[in-house]
Amino acid sequence: MLVRRTYQFLIVYCIGLASLLGLKYALSLSDYVIPSIPLILETAGQVFSDYLRAAFSTLSVTVLGQIISIILAFSVGIAGRKSSWLGSFIRATAYNIQAYPIVALAPIIFILLGDGFLSRLLIASIICYFPLLLSVLGVMAAPVQEIEHFYQATGRMSWQLEVKIRAFENLSKLTTVISGSATLAMAGTIVAEFIAANAGIGYSIRTALYQSDLAKIFVALFLIGIIISLYQGLLENIGQWIIQKKLG
Amino acid sequence: MQIISNNLSFQYPDSDTKVINSLSFSMHGPGFNAVFGPSGVGKTSLARIIAGSITDQEGDMYTKGITTILYSYNMERLPGWSSIGTLLQQVTPPGREALLEELIELFALQNVMDSPFTRISLGQQNRSNLLRYLVQDFDLLIMDESLANVDEKLRQTILLHIKERFPDRMFLSISHNLMEVATFCKEILVLGTREKSGKGCILQGLDLQQDAVLDKDRLDQSMLEVMNAC
Repeated sequence: MLVRRTYQFLIVYCIGLASLLGLKYALSLSDYVIPSIPLILETAGQVFSDYLRAAFSTLSVTVLGQIISIILAFSVGIAGRKSSWLGSFIRATAYNIQAYPIVALAPIIFILLGDGFLSRLLIASIICYFPLLLSVLGVMAAPVQEIEHFYQATGRMSWQLEVKIRAFENLSKLTTVISGSATLAMAGTIVAEFIAANAGIGYSIRTALYQSDLAKIFVALFLIGIIISLYQGLLENIGQWIIQKKLG
Repeated sequence: MQIISNNLSFQYPDSDTKVINSLSFSMHGPGFNAVFGPSGVGKTSLARIIAGSITDQEGDMYTKGITTILYSYNMERLPGWSSIGTLLQQVTPPGREALLEELIELFALQNVMDSPFTRISLGQQNRSNLLRYLVQDFDLLIMDESLANVDEKLRQTILLHIKERFPDRMFLSISHNLMEVATFCKEILVLGTREKSGKGCILQGLDLQQDAVLDKDRLDQSMLEVMNAC
């Protein structure tokens, strides 16, 4: 999974780069508009280590933001699984908030919290949180009647057992959603770094944008792609391992 | 022990027709009784009404001398996170460990105790599901096709043993197996087709006991009566 994700990204990246280079040579565009391969390689040599550090800084915020959103989504999802008024209220609220582009709230967070780690973390978390919450709510609110019936009939059902049954029966779905949400968390972090931050690969891209240096942006995009592919591949591998261990 | 139905009717909210229409009967326990009839005549709906999981029926349905009713059905599954043995032990009330062991042997499940539920055959799945109900506290156990996919010989062994082992309990078996119903059951509620709905009648089965000899003429007669009542 790890290797497949990486080479899939490399194929997409090379196709994208080749298309731009094709455009460059077809329209005789200068290196200022679209940099040549030697210029991209030269720029990579100059900024690679700085950008790698910045990408890992982004990844660390991504991972932390995702963990927070997973914990929150499961907490709220478990609370919202019941058909009580509270459950209905949580589900209705989650569906309505999900319909709103959360990223548009980012400026408010920056006004209130300023630049820095906390704003990046918060934006990464909320962008990742709502899609996760909807999936967790969907899983937790759907009874697995053919398993739960016995425990209900014999008075053995507890909320912990109910959650365990529903999570276990939807293990594949949950692990897929969690690994997929890594992309959302990273997108949230990079958006936060674009808007206002003083670190991270998004901040590096914004700086390169001000310098109109497309070569640097290519290098940054390459690192983002590689790192998110590795991270997502790792999560998928962990998910597969859990499923194999539990489901056989 | 008694199950009494008086002018019972039930219709699913998304349906135009009544699945049970003005059904009246009285069934006595303890012992092994059955509900028999073609598919779609409301056997499972009736079982769920008796068990209390359907409550919006019309008419009366009540029991006498029955406190705890359990309803088991053949699509039930055990969770997959532990072996069958561990799961059965977890749901066995204290003091019933010997009964559990006895039933594991009777149900021929010794070899699958270390396996997860998904790795065993359908018959073994149904047996392990029924087994966990039998170790619980109950006055009436409804067995909705609970021994489906179990071979005839083992079904017979299990049914005879249940009758002998739990003489003070009432069982209500829902089955499409005419011979089984006629052979092992004491009272058989026969539900007819929809045209005959409401005319559910109670017939006597052979109520075969352990070590008793089966009277084949009486069995044929009982089966004919059940068939004609449908």
